[in-house]
Amino acid sequence: MIGLDTALGEITLVLFTTLAPAGAMALLLMGLPILSGRASWAEVRRISTYLCLPLIVSMVGLVASATHLGSPANALYVFAAVGSSPLSNEVLCAVIFLMLGGLYWLYSFRRAPSPRLLRLWIGAIDLAALAFIAAVGLAYSARTIISWNLWEVPVAIAANALMGGPLVALASYAVGRCTSLTARRAKGLAALAAGALAASVAVYGLQGVDLGSVGNAVASVTDLVPAYGAAVAAFALLGAGGIVIAWRATRNLPADGTPPEGAIRYQLVGRLCTAAALGLAAIFVMRFCFYLAHLTVGLGV
Amino acid sequence: MAQLGFFFDGSRCTGCKTCVVACKDGFDLGVGVAFRRVYECVEGRTEKDGAGICSTTCRVFYLSLGCNHCSRPVCIEVCPTQAMAKDEATGLVAVNTRKCIGCGYCHLACPYNAPQVDKSRGHSVKCEGCPDRLAAGEAPLCVLACPARALGFGTAEAMAARGERAATPPLPPAEETCPNLYIKPSRDGRAAGDGVAIGNVAETR
Ligand code: SF4
Ligand code: SF4
Ligand code: SF4
Repeated sequence: MIGLDTALGEITLVLFTTLAPAGAMALLLMGLPILSGRASWAEVRRISTYLCLPLIVSMVGLVASATHLGSPANALYVFAAVGSSPLSNEVLCAVIFLMLGGLYWLYSFRRAPSPRLLRLWIGAIDLAALAFIAAVGLAYSARTIISWNLWEVPVAIAANALMGGPLVALASYAVGRCTSLTARRAKGLAALAAGALAASVAVYGLQGVDLGSVGNAVASVTDLVPAYGAAVAAFALLGAGGIVIAWRATRNLPADGTPPEGAIRYQLVGRLCTAAALGLAAIFVMRFCFYLAHLTVGLGV
Repeated sequence: MAQLGFFFDGSRCTGCKTCVVACKDGFDLGVGVAFRRVYECVEGRTEKDGAGICSTTCRVFYLSLGCNHCSRPVCIEVCPTQAMAKDEATGLVAVNTRKCIGCGYCHLACPYNAPQVDKSRGHSVKCEGCPDRLAAGEAPLCVLACPARALGFGTAEAMAARGERAATPPLPPAEETCPNLYIKPSRDGRAAGDGVAIGNVAETR
């Protein structure tokens, strides 16, 4: 399989595009109680501390993507083509998002951080996260790459982030023993993930129809990704599995968000981490298919 | 100086791949790296009838391709570091290895499969039109080596006088990147349609 070379060669990008947008969306969702001003001061501090978890998820993705570069020492030149190369735009958005997130996290450890500044800062991080997710979706929209330059590609990245993000946010809340993890909020996040899963499956279905007629003299997308239908089914099953586990684990949480103690706490953390891992695995499957399907007009595969 | 480009005479090319080897030899390219590739283009079918008699409509023709030093180079559009750049005087497209990060986007976007990231060097490599030889007033190695005299190199204007701008299958429509490659097709190449496939895929990756 020739497409396998591209997908395996770009496996770190598969990982990056799986983890980074989901981590960014999780950070946005996790910080909403701070942004809305509804969280108590103690809860603001707790959430701020544990925002590092989704940030780490994104960061691991970014570090993985850097390992695919032949000469990372030249990396500063990527800012030379901001505005013209979609890849430069993506890297710039990633750097802004991660810098804002990282500096927020450090600032939140001050003895008396300004609540107003924290709120404004979270708002800025949220905007940066949205811009970053959009930039990841558009990074490979090159006019000659006919199997990637489709409207479904950025939409799928956004829908995937909306599916994986809530699951990562739930797990992060649980690890941080945040009182924002109420049954109501957990239900809302699981419903968001379920809606995004349905939207992702629909987008992948339409993408499959569009890709069915795409090919060049070297190969067709149906040659490159013969099991596309099975991959979408695996995506749906893994995603649904994660969402069901998250929903079942959180449906009996107390309404005031009092975190469970002892063995129950570890069980909750374990189940929500499993749910997040399943959601990310689902996304990974379809990101792998994306790189398998690479094909240009003419002779590129 | 004006934009430079290649000419390829499909009616002369025998598919011997001397151009490929001459280039590899000249630039000391290892296994898996090539600046020029010869594609075996195949079209038609071979069938066996009820009486066991085979008939075929198969046609094979060859296409020798390096970088076409395009006038609308998508490799430059996508490059995040501006390492891929077009020389103002000659129009030749080359990689600045001090800027290239080896991200491979040029490889992913080029519809002629021209650039590739050489893992051992950590940056993109491709046909740069033999600039040292040009400066010495000599023809590129591949052009010089071709025993059938099927390759030519010079100003795009002069090449255009010898053939048509490359636009027929298996190549993309010319407007995609405006390649500075002019072709005199063979009889089979002229008749090629969208059904043409590459026969030596593994060799040309
Ligand atoms: S053939 Fe490919 S690498 Fe060469 S200039 Fe055209 S687009 Fe760029
Ligand atoms: S591999 Fe180098 S020349 Fe090619 S797009 Fe990346 S930085 Fe540019
Ligand atoms: S012009 Fe030079 S570098 Fe380009 S294909 Fe010919 S021999 Fe190789």
